Amino acid sequence: MQESMDAIVMQDVVKSFRKRTIRGEYTTFKSELLRWLRGQRRPREAGLITALRGINLTIPRGKTVGIIGRNGSGKSTLLKLITGIYTPTSGNLQINGRISALLDLGAGFHPDFSGRENILINGIILGMSRAEVRARMDEIIAFSELGEFIDEPVRTYSSGMYMRLAFAVATHVDPDILIIDEILAVGDEHFSKKSLAKMMEFKKSGKTIVLVTHDLHTVDKWCDLAAWIDGGYVRRMGRSADVTAEYRQAIALAESQAVVFTPPALTEGGGALPQVPGTPSAPPAEAEAPVRLTGLSLVAPSGEAEPFSPETPVEVLVDFAADARSEDAEFEVSLRDSEGKPLYETSTRLEAVSLPRQLPPEGRVRFVMERLGLLTGSYSVVVTARASGGISTESRAFQVSAPVGERGVFRPTHRWVVEPAPVAQQVVSAMASGNAPRAAGGGHP
Amino acid sequence: MIRLIRELYQYRGLLLSLVQRELKARYRGSFLGFLWTFLNPTLHMLVYAMLFTVVMRQNIPHYAFFMFVGLLPWIWFASSITGGASAISDRRDLMTKVRFPAQVLPTTVVVTNLCNYVLSLPLMLALGIVLYGQWPTWHALFFPVVVVIQLTFTLALTYIVAAINVAFRDLQHIVSNLLTMWFFGTPVLYPLTTLQDETLRTAMTVLNPMTALITSYQAIFYEHRLPDAGPLLALSAFSVMLLWGASMIFEARREDFAESI
Repeated sequence: MQESMDAIVMQDVVKSFRKRTIRGEYTTFKSELLRWLRGQRRPREAGLITALRGINLTIPRGKTVGIIGRNGSGKSTLLKLITGIYTPTSGNLQINGRISALLDLGAGFHPDFSGRENILINGIILGMSRAEVRARMDEIIAFSELGEFIDEPVRTYSSGMYMRLAFAVATHVDPDILIIDEILAVGDEHFSKKSLAKMMEFKKSGKTIVLVTHDLHTVDKWCDLAAWIDGGYVRRMGRSADVTAEYRQAIALAESQAVVFTPPALTEGGGALPQVPGTPSAPPAEAEAPVRLTGLSLVAPSGEAEPFSPETPVEVLVDFAADARSEDAEFEVSLRDSEGKPLYETSTRLEAVSLPRQLPPEGRVRFVMERLGLLTGSYSVVVTARASGGISTESRAFQVSAPVGERGVFRPTHRWVVEPAPVAQQVVSAMASGNAPRAAGGGHP
Repeated sequence: MIRLIRELYQYRGLLLSLVQRELKARYRGSFLGFLWTFLNPTLHMLVYAMLFTVVMRQNIPHYAFFMFVGLLPWIWFASSITGGASAISDRRDLMTKVRFPAQVLPTTVVVTNLCNYVLSLPLMLALGIVLYGQWPTWHALFFPVVVVIQLTFTLALTYIVAAINVAFRDLQHIVSNLLTMWFFGTPVLYPLTTLQDETLRTAMTVLNPMTALITSYQAIFYEHRLPDAGPLLALSAFSVMLLWGASMIFEARREDFAESI
């Protein structure tokens, strides 16, 4: 147990639930009696909902792993299996270490009791002994920043205070494996910074963290690895930036194909998202394409490293390999935000860029941007090579950090001018910024 | 059964804290607070005492004391079963969010009610001493034995009811009605000896486990004699078997708890 490198090992884990009848959620005396009178047997197989269809997942010790996926793809079920609240229908599940799960903050809080009394109960429920809770009581109270409110009944707390108290207890359990479901952003700016710092502390001390979230930015930033659960299977597991990029693409693709988003567990095939062309899970299309992308990088000619600033000139370097069928090839470049929404898309065909009739067997396309123009955030660039014989896609995530705290997505080239009224006409035309009329109006003659 | 009890022992800290909290919570915010532990059964008893001494003119010496001796353990039993029935099904917040042995919840109900019972004992004794001059005798040494037997029996029944009620919610209503019938079939308000029919008396002793328990309490505190060993021994054997069966049912169903709630 001790020498095992893996904190969690799941092999072919399947979880199905019995579907409740439409009329009544629970078995009642009447329904039991009626069924018994009619001599029916409980329909075992018919009413099964399979949430997880065969999960193979290994979570290495000391890593922070993000679990992403659509609503209803089985993420929370997975966490409940890991914490032992559910038992797998079939398959193997091995856990090495003490687990603490933050699935719900404030489990077992009693509204009429003071914060202090609730810390005791909640701590014990989360797996601490009475002595441990007592020993950490002051630390927990200090972390929650509740001050004198700690001796007031919990029902008088604001929701922020409640969450802070619950979070404080949960993070002081000192587990080997920490399971978190969507709760990193607790309280105000200050407290969520503190929470993140606490998470970092966990990470540094070599704890394993499993985190379920829809905030892909968090996954990119905090997680070493990410697992994408889709259609009841692990769709992809790997470096978090790669996995989130593919996930974003799949979502964007599903939206563009007008895929109907139904509850995944009820859908044939688990409601998996469409395959992103050119990803490792779809190798055939990749191998057959006349133009194959072999590399993609973002480079600032000035030598500036990521995160780029909005004014940096940046080149997207696309390496490709082409064969004889590449006459009608075109290249598409798409800049996307962290959710995978396209911000700007263009292609060699749209801009009528003349490509050589026959592409060289190995070559490079440079997409040169005089200035990046994007504001602070994480983005991805997706390059697609299209030819009649197939398509090939590469993507890469990158960060932008603006020195000024502007809001929005892009930064147009602009400058500010304030002038007396008579030349107001020219002021407006001289200003690219939308704030121009207000700025001019402010300067009364 | 071994596993069930071992897990309870492992989680004794939780059990202890939950019982403490239940005891505090029951009367928190009420003006008389903890006094209600005594007031509730006293008021209960006054109603019955009126009914039986004034209206029905039963001729039992020290009737109020007699009834109190039987009523208190019955309240322990009945409130454990009714409370235990929904102990798991009402705690969705805990069952679906945290992993811990589910038997802690019904056990908490039984132990909390046991504490209430034990805490109301001084009042019962005081009543006997002040009103009727009934000092407890050395027979009271056997009192803990009877309590342990009742604890085992009550726990077993509570586990079964709690486990089944998760999937079959009608049970909590059925149980509370059955308990009312059970109450009148148990010699709490009347001594067993007042029953004229010999066969009925035997049937009540054999078929109703609570009869053996209640008559034992009455023997110890009211009649000042040793309880009948036969029924008690039979009941303790039966209780252990019932607890064993209850833990089988509980173990078989516990994996469904989180999903069915």
